[in-house]
Amino acid sequence: MKDPIASLVLAAHLALLSSISFGGFPTVLPDVRNLVTANGWVTDQEFANFFAISQVVPGPNMILMMSFVGLKVGGIPGAITSAFATFGPPCLMYYTSYRLWDRFRDRPWQQMVRRGLAPLTIGLVVAGGYVMARAADTSWQRALVTAAAIGVMLGTRLNPLWILAAGGILGGLGLLTPGE
Amino acid sequence: MTQTVEARRVEERVALTALFFGFLKVSLLGFGGGLVWARRIVVDQQRWLDDQEFAEILTLCQFMPGPNIVGITLCSGSKLRGPLGAVSAVAGFILIPWTVGLAFGSFCLQYAHLPILQNILGGLSSAAAGLMIATGIRLLMPHRSRQTALVFAVLAFTGMVVAKLPLLVVLFGLAPVSIAIAGIASPRAR
Repeated sequence: MKDPIASLVLAAHLALLSSISFGGFPTVLPDVRNLVTANGWVTDQEFANFFAISQVVPGPNMILMMSFVGLKVGGIPGAITSAFATFGPPCLMYYTSYRLWDRFRDRPWQQMVRRGLAPLTIGLVVAGGYVMARAADTSWQRALVTAAAIGVMLGTRLNPLWILAAGGILGGLGLLTPGE
Repeated sequence: MTQTVEARRVEERVALTALFFGFLKVSLLGFGGGLVWARRIVVDQQRWLDDQEFAEILTLCQFMPGPNIVGITLCSGSKLRGPLGAVSAVAGFILIPWTVGLAFGSFCLQYAHLPILQNILGGLSSAAAGLMIATGIRLLMPHRSRQTALVFAVLAFTGMVVAKLPLLVVLFGLAPVSIAIAGIASPRAR
């Protein structure tokens, strides 16, 4: 299980994905899930657990989630390489592009690119959420929680923490368990 | 009070440790809505940047790949204190929360097989998935009047979920077409 080659493959893949994760890391979650489950490193259930835990801990959620994957694949070194692969490449890109930003601020092509990329980004964010919902919603009650979370998030200004807590409490009370 | 942020910045440089702890606070408070806290601390509380500077950084970060909130942290640090500022801010944002989160998370995951924890985690991930979908829908709202934007959002979603294509194929297959159409459409719209 603690396979250094697997850790490197994972880190290389994460570095590539983080470099193209327009709209944030959630957009590449489906791809990460395919890689790790296809290789048998992490089960669907574990992947969903990593997602849930990283959402309730404050701080850099997606970096942490990828570190749990790395931890499973290659122990502590795996966790550290996964973390760096997740935030390192984008940081370099942020830094260089921030310096170029002023020079190209008002160019029309920049607005064009932004307008063209925005809808793709959004479609990918929703796809990421949908894939996680498909993995997590093993019963109709859980699907209902997902639907309610969407509704409350869109319809109110409630702190999302309360929505997460409600999901956790309903689950803890055993109200969301799939029928045997 | 009449002093601008720019003028204040020339007089007193923000300490690197202040950046570290400022963004540590953003990180620790930012359950779910990191952006809210980033603006509150950077603009309202510390007055490191004004609203316009912050908005500009946000736009750039949304347009770039990677975790946007890390980008906001890095760019703010870089604007205030150059490369060292960027490193201090990002270190503050990641170092301590990552270590604590990994330790706490691993501890919880050891008991993940227990039915009660399994149920709690299940409920949490259902809710979290809903929040993510809602965030996507929120992002779509400013674009709802552009039909081509909606078409490309649906195409990207379908490519990932229905056709199960790799992200690279979806992104680089659709991006050139989407950008070209945005380019053709924008002069007429304005």
